[in-house]
Amino acid sequence: MIRLDAKRPARFCDGFTRRDFLHAGTLSLLGLGLPELFAARQARCADPSRDVNCILIFLVGGPSHIDTWDPKPHAPEEVRGPFKPIRTKVPGIHVTEIFPRLARYTDKISLIRSVYHTATAVHDTGHQLMQTGRLFSGGIQYPHVGCILSYLRGPKGAIPPHVLMPKPIGPTGGNMPHGQDAGYLGRAYDPFVLNADPNDPNYRVRDLLPPEYVSAVRVRRRRRLRELVEQSLRGFEASPQAKQYDDAFRQAYTLMTSREAREAFDIHKEPDSVRDRYGRTRFGQCCLLARRLIERGVRFVTINMFETVFNEVTWDIHGSRPFTDILQMKDEVAPNFDRAFTTLIEELVERGLYENTMVIAMGEFGRTPKINPAGGRDHHPGVWTILLGGGPLRGGVVVGESDELGYVPKSRPVTPAEVVATILAGLGFDVHHELPGPQSRPIPLVDYNVQPIRELL
Amino acid sequence: MQARIVTCSCILLLAEVVVAAGPKEPAELRVFPAPIVLWRVGATQRIVVEAIDGDDRAIGDVTPVAELRVADRTIAVLDQQGRLHGLRPGRTKLMVRLGKLTREVEVEVRSGPQPYVPSFRNDVIPVLTRSGCNSGACHGAAAGKGGLKLSLRGYDPQSDFRVLTRQARGRRVDLEHPGRSLLLVKPTMTVPHGGGLRFELGSDEFWILADWIANGCPAPRPDDPVVERVTMLPEHVQLSPGDSQQFVVLAHYSDGTVRDITDRCKYTSSNMVVANVTEHGVAAVEGRGEAQVYALFGNFVAKASVLVPFRTDVAESVFAQAERFNFIDDLVLKKLAELGIPPAPLCDDRTFIRRVYLDATGTLPEPERVERFVADRDPKKRLRLIEELLRTEAFVDYWTYWLSDMFLLSSERLPAPALWAFQRWLREAVAENRSWQTVARQVLTATGSNLQNGAANYFVLHKDVVQLTETTSVTFLGTSLTCARCHNHPLEKWTQDQYYATANLFARVRLKNGKQPGEVVVYDAPDGDVLHPRRGVPMRPAPLDGAPMPADYAGTRRQYLAEWLTSDRNALFARSIVNRVWAALLGRGIVDPPDDLRVTNPASNEPLLERLSAEFVKHGYDLRWLIRTILSSATYQRSSVPSPENAFDDRWYSYYRVRRLTAEVLADAFAYVTAVPDRYRGYPLGTRAIQLPDVKVPSYFLDVFGRPKREQPCSCERQNDASIAQTLHLFNGETLNAKLRSDKGRIARWLAEKIPLGEAIERLYLLALSRKPSEQEKQKLAQALGTDDAPAPLDRPPTREQLEDLFWAVLTSREFTFNH
Repeated sequence: MIRLDAKRPARFCDGFTRRDFLHAGTLSLLGLGLPELFAARQARCADPSRDVNCILIFLVGGPSHIDTWDPKPHAPEEVRGPFKPIRTKVPGIHVTEIFPRLARYTDKISLIRSVYHTATAVHDTGHQLMQTGRLFSGGIQYPHVGCILSYLRGPKGAIPPHVLMPKPIGPTGGNMPHGQDAGYLGRAYDPFVLNADPNDPNYRVRDLLPPEYVSAVRVRRRRRLRELVEQSLRGFEASPQAKQYDDAFRQAYTLMTSREAREAFDIHKEPDSVRDRYGRTRFGQCCLLARRLIERGVRFVTINMFETVFNEVTWDIHGSRPFTDILQMKDEVAPNFDRAFTTLIEELVERGLYENTMVIAMGEFGRTPKINPAGGRDHHPGVWTILLGGGPLRGGVVVGESDELGYVPKSRPVTPAEVVATILAGLGFDVHHELPGPQSRPIPLVDYNVQPIRELL
Repeated sequence: MQARIVTCSCILLLAEVVVAAGPKEPAELRVFPAPIVLWRVGATQRIVVEAIDGDDRAIGDVTPVAELRVADRTIAVLDQQGRLHGLRPGRTKLMVRLGKLTREVEVEVRSGPQPYVPSFRNDVIPVLTRSGCNSGACHGAAAGKGGLKLSLRGYDPQSDFRVLTRQARGRRVDLEHPGRSLLLVKPTMTVPHGGGLRFELGSDEFWILADWIANGCPAPRPDDPVVERVTMLPEHVQLSPGDSQQFVVLAHYSDGTVRDITDRCKYTSSNMVVANVTEHGVAAVEGRGEAQVYALFGNFVAKASVLVPFRTDVAESVFAQAERFNFIDDLVLKKLAELGIPPAPLCDDRTFIRRVYLDATGTLPEPERVERFVADRDPKKRLRLIEELLRTEAFVDYWTYWLSDMFLLSSERLPAPALWAFQRWLREAVAENRSWQTVARQVLTATGSNLQNGAANYFVLHKDVVQLTETTSVTFLGTSLTCARCHNHPLEKWTQDQYYATANLFARVRLKNGKQPGEVVVYDAPDGDVLHPRRGVPMRPAPLDGAPMPADYAGTRRQYLAEWLTSDRNALFARSIVNRVWAALLGRGIVDPPDDLRVTNPASNEPLLERLSAEFVKHGYDLRWLIRTILSSATYQRSSVPSPENAFDDRWYSYYRVRRLTAEVLADAFAYVTAVPDRYRGYPLGTRAIQLPDVKVPSYFLDVFGRPKREQPCSCERQNDASIAQTLHLFNGETLNAKLRSDKGRIARWLAEKIPLGEAIERLYLLALSRKPSEQEKQKLAQALGTDDAPAPLDRPPTREQLEDLFWAVLTSREFTFNH
């Protein structure tokens, strides 16, 4: 006999414990019939034998290519910058001295030194281009590459397929969308946003479990009651905002009722030694959490190294206040990246995950070759360098090169759309598979004239 | 009951929709342009033949199927692409025929300058612009590219001329061997070019540049004719998916000539889902709706609209008989009729009272008020209710908060006394319904102590001229100037010179510390200027496109700015606030986002925005008049339930657009229904979220539900999207759960009073949803609250947990969390 209103919180009178709560929830709503849906969606466009994950690290602010991974030691002083090039594991590939650890991993990752875009040189355009492959125009908002994956493959079990951490990119001056959501695919395919700092000693994903005094039975009863109240909705639920809210309800319920899913987010379960390896920074711990999530079924993790370019020391080194200058990169930003990024690769390799997990680190543009009077460099989408490897991507390759001064691509220019196409191809998709756009207009994953970078695949 | 009424009207609508209007038939042909004047021998003019229907609407480009003939082919001839070439001076006619329809148009070829030498200003620069050479991403970048630096989109012809003819040891133009000029070999990729192929050898572009060089590279002259305006024809077309339409673009020059620039412009479409446009000005219709097609030429933008009705068979009576309460409805219904979108019927009284309470005051109506309203038989009761709400304290609280978002009130940059002074100032302005014109003037010219004169805090929040210039532009004109700080605005007409001329109007604002903590005194210094960063000199102070400040102007620079900004002639000033208020009440700006007014971001209903702005000015910038007028319209009062005929409408207001309550309103609604007030740190118990002057007051709930940070003047700061973090918080977080568990609130009271379950459900529905539950709903809820064997009895008091769970379900439902 089940009594619903007993007052003992820790162990429920129907024999349910909080632990059992987890099992009750495995009948997730999201699961109902959906695997078939996703299977059908991807049947036409993907190689099912490939189950590749991806960690996309967005270097918000735009790292200076000359001072990082495309050094120009023979350029005149006003271009060269203060950092010396060093040799790396792969003969012929040099990076600057502020990335000593990265230098040991160039056999695992490749560099594209000829990425460029021709849109306005503000952060926001680069964010859109690099994460969706397109510049938003004509009223269409395109989906983030991770959201395309969510749409085509769906979740593995109760855990969301795409997690974004710690937060979406905030305002960076352009008042434009940053390409970090599902765009025209609809809010249901937006990433799960962590909204917490895994480096915080009190870190936890908020509200993952009901409070002690709300039993599992009551959670289910509440949900049932809510469904009844909603039955008499008068028809407005068809509107996108109302649908989105309901999706969020279902996803929350799925997540909170799965122990595996909840524990995946629990970074405190990682030994201190592992946590220290990544560096005790927000970014470092995000990299660790990304590895943990991939291990437990998340398919795509987007890490924003910074939330914005204001009020933080970032890659946005204009030199003039409040921004930092070139020299200051070596104090904080570069070592933080160098340590966490290389540890991530190390760990993925050690755990056998690197074979099916791509890791990409990229910014929204490069920086002006000529050093400005404030000792900084300004926005320069003319050419820059990104890092990528893992999964089906080859390591130790340099694609393209910039000219002597780092102004423009000298060979094999690469557009953001080609980068996105490469990620999609790496994930196993036909890059010209068509998605249902606004008004059911078919939109290919990337434009028909865009191909993945074959040298890397 | 209500559900049934709605269903009935849907069926009614469907029945009406079936009544078909006739298919569109061309009634006549029209030629664009007409008459045709070729400004010189050798000039060309693209011709478009358009079918016109009985209502004088352009309904399709029939040029490819029409028969075109020039009477005297020694004067002008047509080529295969439909371009007319002038051969010798004279007059003739162009004859057009399609089936039974014919048309004749006068053609005149003028002699013009002979021989014609391309002009640097009017031929060379447009080629560079159209080919993208001087774009922000290429040589137009602040630092140039590959050693060549042109002015962005050619705004400085003198400098571009110098750069092209004098720099790089003259290699860019080679007078002796024009074909070796870098200006020709680079863009054609005859030699390697970082920017790739811009135009082909032998193309029109190539020949214009080659001709100019071969003629000795004549310099731009002060008496060159300049463009005065640009027009695009036909201005409006109504098409169907699959159609294509050629547009003709004409530049009107200061020497009176009109020249065809159809192949010299750049084109964009505001809505590619509806129409795409090629680089030759041909729009291809892809879907239904409305798109603006833009032709960009220098700093000029011309536009034409492409309307693709969703249906053409909706009976006119559907629109003619739809409710109209004021001019808003006339204009909205006109647009809906053009697009073939039937409007939803009016919402019922219960929905209306809840909706208007939330939109006007951010609060829920008391159950007694709802019942009184429903029982009221006065046909004008909705108007009376609106009037009543505009006079409440809650209205003042709500709109003060709304303005506080706009003015970025936050303790991040303002100490407490200053913050309070600013908030008090805004509250007074709302309470006495100060005209928006006065508010803006008082803010922009505020002087004295920021604690005495709260508006002066505007200058404490935004200390430097750059911030002041840009914030002022977004706040009052809904226009971003940021781009023009470093270069001419790429999508707008604003130049860097205009930016610094405007910035200079703020150059003499000074701050000094007052006597009290947090006190700052704002005053104007007699001198001081802002330097233009590239020119190194101050620009003569002038507001954007206004006249420069006269040297003998009696007031301060700020006063001059405020006068211009708030004048009736500055259309953006009224337009911006009208659009913001509209967005607040109807969920989407007529221009969206609401603070992004620019030529290339079209209004979904331009006549509506124009008229509403004009009326707002006529009514003395009266915000209450504006709010009242919008709330009184049938458009505002339509049902939120879409029908299959209008469900796709995302911008034309055929039905009321639902949206989640904002973070603050939702928090207050929880507190109201549970009767458990919030305690925000540093504020007395019971202070509502909407009354907080500050967004730094800690509240996870408010943050996760999208409270803005008030750091950037951008409507994008407030996030109304749903997220899993929000719903997890409703399930498991403390905010709502603590209110349900409280031993002081409504739940505790009802338990103490032993209210039976049935009555509790009824009261809760009235409080939260402004409606009564149906018998069936009560039964089902009782069942869910009971055991497998027996439903919870409706006539007996529920347990605390039952009541808590019931409240939870209602308070997280969409019927509660949304305004609908």
